[in-house]
Amino acid sequence: MKYVTTLAAVTGLTALLNAVPAAAADTEMVYQFYCAQCHGSTGKGDGPNVTKDFPVSPRNFTDAAEMNKLSNADVKNVILDGGPSVSKSPMMPPWGKTLTEEEVDGLVQYLRVICACEGKQG
Amino acid sequence: MRQKLASVTGAVCLLAMATASYADGQAVFEAKECVACHYTEGPAQEKTIEDQQAKLGPELWYAGDKFQAEWLTAWLTDPQPIRPLKFNSLTEDNPADHPALSADEAASVGEFLMGLTSGEVEAGTVKVKKNAKGRQIFTKKMPCSGCHEYAGRKGNVSGGRSGPSLVDAGVRLNPDWILAYLQKPEFFKPVKMMPVFVGLLSDKDMANVAAHVANFKPKK
Repeated sequence: MKYVTTLAAVTGLTALLNAVPAAAADTEMVYQFYCAQCHGSTGKGDGPNVTKDFPVSPRNFTDAAEMNKLSNADVKNVILDGGPSVSKSPMMPPWGKTLTEEEVDGLVQYLRVICACEGKQG
Repeated sequence: MRQKLASVTGAVCLLAMATASYADGQAVFEAKECVACHYTEGPAQEKTIEDQQAKLGPELWYAGDKFQAEWLTAWLTDPQPIRPLKFNSLTEDNPADHPALSADEAASVGEFLMGLTSGEVEAGTVKVKKNAKGRQIFTKKMPCSGCHEYAGRKGNVSGGRSGPSLVDAGVRLNPDWILAYLQKPEFFKPVKMMPVFVGLLSDKDMANVAAHVANFKPKK
């Protein structure tokens, strides 16, 4: 019985360890596929769509001071409902019909890693 | 009686020619190894981002819905980049290295590709004309222009580079397919970099956008 419990615990831990990097890798892929078009592969707001005609500067996710003005809920809302939902540009389209809730939550965490900031609390 | 027989025989001959041309086109398509980059049998095979990124070129299983025949045949003889960037890349420019076909090959491959239809595009739904509402959505409300190049009123090209250029969309794309593509993204291309607009734009507004895009013609 003890052996079975230990085996289950080890299996569970292994699964968890495998799952965490996989989820992070998936989020990185989601970011590079959807977001990098405008925000750039490293999050500096310099994706290939940002030509001289682009009417606004996409958010630079590496700017911790700017990113700290937003709570995680703010960031999630912008991803789901687009720029106008927070009085920003419609050049940021709503992704709520494209991404899953899990993908959006993953992106919020991913952006916090890029900015190395925790965001507005409360 | 004789006239009727001649007419039926003529129709059969025409059908045979068309069938032969489709088959010839398929043979050329395979011989030229187009299948290495393009798949031609639906339904959509991409279920994940990885699936999409593993592809070497656009899917063509609904090419007959998507393209205009005259444009397609001409393009096959002189293939110029449609997407400014390399397929599936956000950093490299399109190398403009798509193989060209001879005029005969292009004619038969064009027949083959135009025969690939999904049955999901209703003909005659989009009226191509100047459409102010569509223009407003395209450039401001849900700015397609953020990712797609288009020609402004003076012919100057602006817009983003991650999506296919729409500068010549009016001669390249079937207006009814543009609408169907907006309405049924899961059917045509379940995994793509473009947002899903179902539930965000009404069918009427999608038709307005389709009419606006289908009105893009190259400046002469």
